[in-house]
Amino acid sequence: MDSALIPDGVKRCSPTSFFLWTVPWLALLAWGGISAILCLGLGLNQTNMSNIFAFALWIVFDLAIIALGAGAFFTGFLTYIIGKKELKNIINAAVVIGFICYTGAMGMLAFDLGQPVRSWFIFWHANIHSMLVEVSFCITCYMGVLAIEYLPIILENRKLSEIKEFRLFGHNLHHIMALFAATGVFLSFFHQGSLGGMYGVMYARPFAARAGFYVWPWTFFLFILSAIAAGPCFTILCTKLTEAITRKKLVPSSAIQLLAKISGWLLALYMVLKIADTLGWIYGVVPKAGQQFMDFFREGPYGLWLLVFEIIILGIIPMIILLIPKTRQHSGWLIAACLMTCTGIVLNRFMFIVVNLAIPVMPFDKFWSYLPTWQEWGLSMAVVGYGMLLFSLSYRYLPLFPKETELNTVGI
Amino acid sequence: MKFNGKDITELLALNRRNFVKLILGGAVGTGLSPIPWKLADDTAIWTQNWPWVPVPPEGEYVHEKTICKLCPGGCGIEVRKVDHRAVKIEGRTDFPVNPGGMCPLGMGGLQLLYNEQIRFTSPMKRVGARGAGKFVSISWEEAMAILVDRIKGLRQAGQPAALASIDGNPGRSTMSVLIERFMNAVGSPNYMRIPTSEDTYSMANMLMTGNDGPMAYDLENADFILSFGSGLIEGWGSPGRVLNAWKIWKENAAQKKITIVQIESRASNTASKADQWIPVKPGTEAALALGIAHILIREKLYHSEFVDRFAFGFSDWITSDGKDRAGFRRLVLEKYSPEKVAEITGIDAAEIGRLADLFGRARAPIALCGRGKGFLPGSVFECMAIHALNALVGNLNTPGGIFLHDPLPLGLLPQLEPDAVAAAGLKTPRVDQIGGSAHPFSQSLIENFSDAVISAEKSPVDTLLCFSSNPAYTMPDGGAFNKALQKIPFVVSFSPYHDETAYMADLVLPDHHYLEKMDDVVWPIGLQYPLYGITKPVVNPLYDTRNTGDIIIRLAAQMGDTVGKAFPWKNYEEVLQVRAKGLFDHSSGLTEYNGPEAWSRISEGGNFTPDYKSFDEMWKKMISGNLWYRPAHRYGNWGGIFKTPTGKFEFFSMQIDLAVDEASRQQDKETVLMSMGIHAKGDDAFMPHFESLVSEEDHGHYPLKMVPYEMINLSSGPYPNPPYLNKTLFDNQLFGDESFIEINPRTAADYHLGQGDRVVVGSSRGEVQVRVNLFEGAMPGIVYMPLGFGHTAYDDFLRGKGVNPNRIIAGGRDPLSGYSIWWSTPVKLTKI
Amino acid sequence: MENNLAHGHRFGMVIDIDKCTGCGTCMVACAAENNVTVRSDESDKQRSITWMQLYKITNGKAFPHTEVSYFPRPCMHCDEDGHGHHTSPCVTVCVATATRLDFNTGIVSQIYTRCVGCRYCQAACPYHARYFNWWDGYKLIQPFPKGMERSLSPEVSVRTRGVVEKCTFCHHRLMRAKNKAYAEGRREIEESEYITACAEACPVQAITFGDLNNPNHKVSQLIKSPYAFRLLERLNTKPKVYYISKKDWVREMADNYLPGEFKPISTAAVGSR
Repeated sequence: MDSALIPDGVKRCSPTSFFLWTVPWLALLAWGGISAILCLGLGLNQTNMSNIFAFALWIVFDLAIIALGAGAFFTGFLTYIIGKKELKNIINAAVVIGFICYTGAMGMLAFDLGQPVRSWFIFWHANIHSMLVEVSFCITCYMGVLAIEYLPIILENRKLSEIKEFRLFGHNLHHIMALFAATGVFLSFFHQGSLGGMYGVMYARPFAARAGFYVWPWTFFLFILSAIAAGPCFTILCTKLTEAITRKKLVPSSAIQLLAKISGWLLALYMVLKIADTLGWIYGVVPKAGQQFMDFFREGPYGLWLLVFEIIILGIIPMIILLIPKTRQHSGWLIAACLMTCTGIVLNRFMFIVVNLAIPVMPFDKFWSYLPTWQEWGLSMAVVGYGMLLFSLSYRYLPLFPKETELNTVGI
Repeated sequence: MKFNGKDITELLALNRRNFVKLILGGAVGTGLSPIPWKLADDTAIWTQNWPWVPVPPEGEYVHEKTICKLCPGGCGIEVRKVDHRAVKIEGRTDFPVNPGGMCPLGMGGLQLLYNEQIRFTSPMKRVGARGAGKFVSISWEEAMAILVDRIKGLRQAGQPAALASIDGNPGRSTMSVLIERFMNAVGSPNYMRIPTSEDTYSMANMLMTGNDGPMAYDLENADFILSFGSGLIEGWGSPGRVLNAWKIWKENAAQKKITIVQIESRASNTASKADQWIPVKPGTEAALALGIAHILIREKLYHSEFVDRFAFGFSDWITSDGKDRAGFRRLVLEKYSPEKVAEITGIDAAEIGRLADLFGRARAPIALCGRGKGFLPGSVFECMAIHALNALVGNLNTPGGIFLHDPLPLGLLPQLEPDAVAAAGLKTPRVDQIGGSAHPFSQSLIENFSDAVISAEKSPVDTLLCFSSNPAYTMPDGGAFNKALQKIPFVVSFSPYHDETAYMADLVLPDHHYLEKMDDVVWPIGLQYPLYGITKPVVNPLYDTRNTGDIIIRLAAQMGDTVGKAFPWKNYEEVLQVRAKGLFDHSSGLTEYNGPEAWSRISEGGNFTPDYKSFDEMWKKMISGNLWYRPAHRYGNWGGIFKTPTGKFEFFSMQIDLAVDEASRQQDKETVLMSMGIHAKGDDAFMPHFESLVSEEDHGHYPLKMVPYEMINLSSGPYPNPPYLNKTLFDNQLFGDESFIEINPRTAADYHLGQGDRVVVGSSRGEVQVRVNLFEGAMPGIVYMPLGFGHTAYDDFLRGKGVNPNRIIAGGRDPLSGYSIWWSTPVKLTKI
Repeated sequence: MENNLAHGHRFGMVIDIDKCTGCGTCMVACAAENNVTVRSDESDKQRSITWMQLYKITNGKAFPHTEVSYFPRPCMHCDEDGHGHHTSPCVTVCVATATRLDFNTGIVSQIYTRCVGCRYCQAACPYHARYFNWWDGYKLIQPFPKGMERSLSPEVSVRTRGVVEKCTFCHHRLMRAKNKAYAEGRREIEESEYITACAEACPVQAITFGDLNNPNHKVSQLIKSPYAFRLLERLNTKPKVYYISKKDWVREMADNYLPGEFKPISTAAVGSR
């Protein structure tokens, strides 16, 4: 039925199977749709966000997927700028994942605003001192970059590439991709950093506050570093997941291993800096605010174990796995390490968002806790559904993995 | 067809290429046009002007002055209006009671005015079950006809006494005078008033000084306040005034060294903010007062001139027929040694000594009796014991003391001439047994009324009229009144609000909201100088309601006969004028206030030049300024101010003695005292003494005590709580629909209770479910429950939120006065 | 006068905690003055709107040595840190410049019609002084109590759902006073002409309001007291709301201190100064 659209020389499941595969993702989208309508129609009272938890699940989700989507720009950087040729085999997938993550995050952000119709005020009445403005500008621009990066992949679709203009356009885009990759790297650096900066600049919230370099608090750099460490891991995970589901080898191991190795080293660097930062915070920011480290974990549902998990179990352990070639090359260990790294990054974002807000600053205030409503989960899950759907469509109809034919022919 | 060498159909064909061109061209074109900018701008403007968001109309700003009527405090208020809409209530700086400040309830008054959901918009007839709040709107003519027919019917049947009324208007107010007059004209003696602390004060005052004027505390000039539980900063007295006094005390603390001591079992705001907190066991305040008296007497710290020359019953005395009677000195020295009192009250003997020393040596000490806001009556003997302290230090009618005043000389209404039916009706015994020997000094006892109705096979009352009150909610009687209400065939409410009593009513004749009507304020509670206020409507009535004063006059006119003749006025305003005329005729005062503080002028003495020349001028000025007052007082005069049988201040109350003697003609003295609820033996019964709380409950079964407490930011009286006040409540007082009890963590541990746990508080009268708030400031063994929650009427902002402790109160009756003891109920806790 | 004009005003507040009775009149006055919405469940403290909020504190001692007190907490109107590093925590972060620190008055303003509702300012404020409109508070249909919109003041705009609001130091009252002064040909307003609704309503006058830059104003004198302090002062937010309490335990509650860091003020030492 749709065979004309499927790339040459690859095997894809039947349209019926494909449709059945999309049903759960469509269901998630429907759930999200209902949630979105409720949130837009009745307001954000549909969530369990509050004046205490001004940021909550959605922002955690946003920050998490933006960090995980960093695989796109970083792989682009390695591929086009550093010139790691083997990564060309995974760059398309990385771009699509990035595109999904960023568009999903932007979509969610629109619902997170109390007045979504006024979202353009952020640009029109921009406050240049606000980290969130930097984030908004860079993400919006970077989304454009991602779209441009995604476009040639779309244009490579068998049917679309029949149109000469499209083919030429796509081809020309390919030639200047390095330029976009560079732009993307620049923009991403700033928005990943600014996302971290958003929390570090909260100088009146000792749990998040960090000193820093010039206008950028240390979280600015830590967020960049953690994103580029975890992004490739997420790309690897997505690829591995696709390989598992399609029961095909799609990316040469060299590409995966290279990404994993780079990720491991970056993670190592990140862990060193993160630990240094944490120590600096414990012995600097915290006592300066008149508090002790354990004050933050005195009560409430969010304990010290979160920090232990974030740094040791979900940081140092995957770092070791990724750094040791033997474990790295073992598929199971690799996947486990990637999963841990990604979870660690989500946990890190969770700490800066939810835990930060749950901890009182005024001594006579209390610890708060938060549980999302189904509407909040709905909108978040819709992004998952959207991602699965878009990735599946891209995989089905676009030459996402250039080596797919080759690898599978060899295999047979 | 060709165009530029191409087939036009090809150019126009909706093929893929053209489609793409169209989309791209369209997108670029639209982007370059002003359309997106315009649209973005329009949407932004739209978000600023959502059609469902009200835009408050602008208009002319007017400020109207009047007096707050939400409590007997009589604070001056100024209402900011925009055209005809009232938008804000503010305190008045040109009113002597509360220079500028006010309490949160008064501040929220507009929410009671404008919240249509809690107001009756016209007369109503009940259609649903009692309590369900289902009514249909009827006309005033119909409503009046129903009531007139009913009362006429009772009179025709020769049963005018089957009409009863409960009045919540402050004592001596013109409304209360008018209502009582109506009852008398119809021929029913069953006019009852909602009991308040003022009843206890005046009873104690009456018994000890013979004076029936209001209790007047010169707080601002005092230098030592010994408060036996009065919530000085929690709504006691006139909140605007007492809080202002608090400010004066705190501001001058450095120079004047004013000491405030709060005697109360719980770390209330007053207790915490006072200079000293004496955590006495609830209900033992009288013993503490007498313990202090013991030291004052023993250490000769009392005012010997006053006590020796102007007081009676201090020393032992001999009756005219030669009997030896004990005096207050003997009673106190023998029975209230600090050690003994320490045992009763839980306060260290040395501490009692220190308090007595401070009190005795202060320049102007005042001992205050009263609990919380003073909305509810207290114990008479306790109040007498505390008042005895004031007498001991001779601070009656002295600067910074307690003044004895005559009541305001308000004009009297013409003598009532009841017809035969009424005369016969008035002779029937009252349903609440007032006039019997048991409670000779109480004006009315709704507790007795409820018991009588409940125990009778057929309710002795056919029609009950409820004015300015909500007894179904506020009576601290364990639900007895509510039970009685169910049995009364016909209940009429005059409430402007959808309150619990109105929900039980068969007919509602809604009064105006206080900002819509003219009324009077007679001597704000506790004020040390006479003040008479006239409120005026600051907004036009919003709904089809009527001033109950006018309605009573109309009702009487429709009744005709002598009833109609007893009310010869056109409207309520004329009655107010009659009353105010009395002030003009018999006193002289001022109608304007611009400072200096009235309390600082009192020493100017009795000679006063009024700021008006004729009654018309006075009335006109009163309408504009709402005020007549007389910031003057004649100090001293101890030889002439006591109107007791002995003409002196009576430590030994001859009036009780006479009443007991009178009743003893039929039965023996022991029985008489028992019927009065007095357990003391011998001469103690006639003097201030301590009666330990007796209750019928088994202390093993109900091991804890429940003590209700009042908050200034939660209306617990007859008026609903304005929603804004809900903002001021903490989430460990009310959370969702559940209210909290405060208990000491140690007590909580005994019951394995933690913060927020759900628990059932049970007394012999019933059970309520609450949650637990652990509070170190709660006395161990006591369960503190806030008053003001647990409404079953009104709207979503009040209904079903928390529980009303009144429902489970079972503390017995106060000796002599017969009022419910609401401050201590034996209870048990059951964890859920 | 000229000098003052050049430097601008810095309106601020001094709250005497020992005087404060915790009655809540300030909260009610504030809500009534500023058209603050009210919900049927105000016990949901995470979402109720209280520009002025009372915090209850206890000294933590066991019965009968327990003592309670209150911190009335308006917006602190935090200031620049004095080094040009940062301004108020919320102002720095606002994306759409919807909240600003006015350099002529020191007031941290909030422009409801510009706020996009991202709530970053709420996250940045350690005082919880900022409130988001989770509901359409004054929707002319339910759930707002019918008829209550009649008490809305036209001086303060009614907020729509989805925007953040907070205490403005009753900015409209400043406008009112200025208009009056200009109409009378004056350039400056008197101390008593501009005072917030909470300060005006406080029945014990525990709240004093005025210009911290004007040495003649009472607030400028009060803050010199050794007992004057601010909330979370060491975070360098530079609040313009000061508190006064002679009670050490109250002052200690106002900020975080490491063990041994808090220095109680001995009454004798202060008296001899």
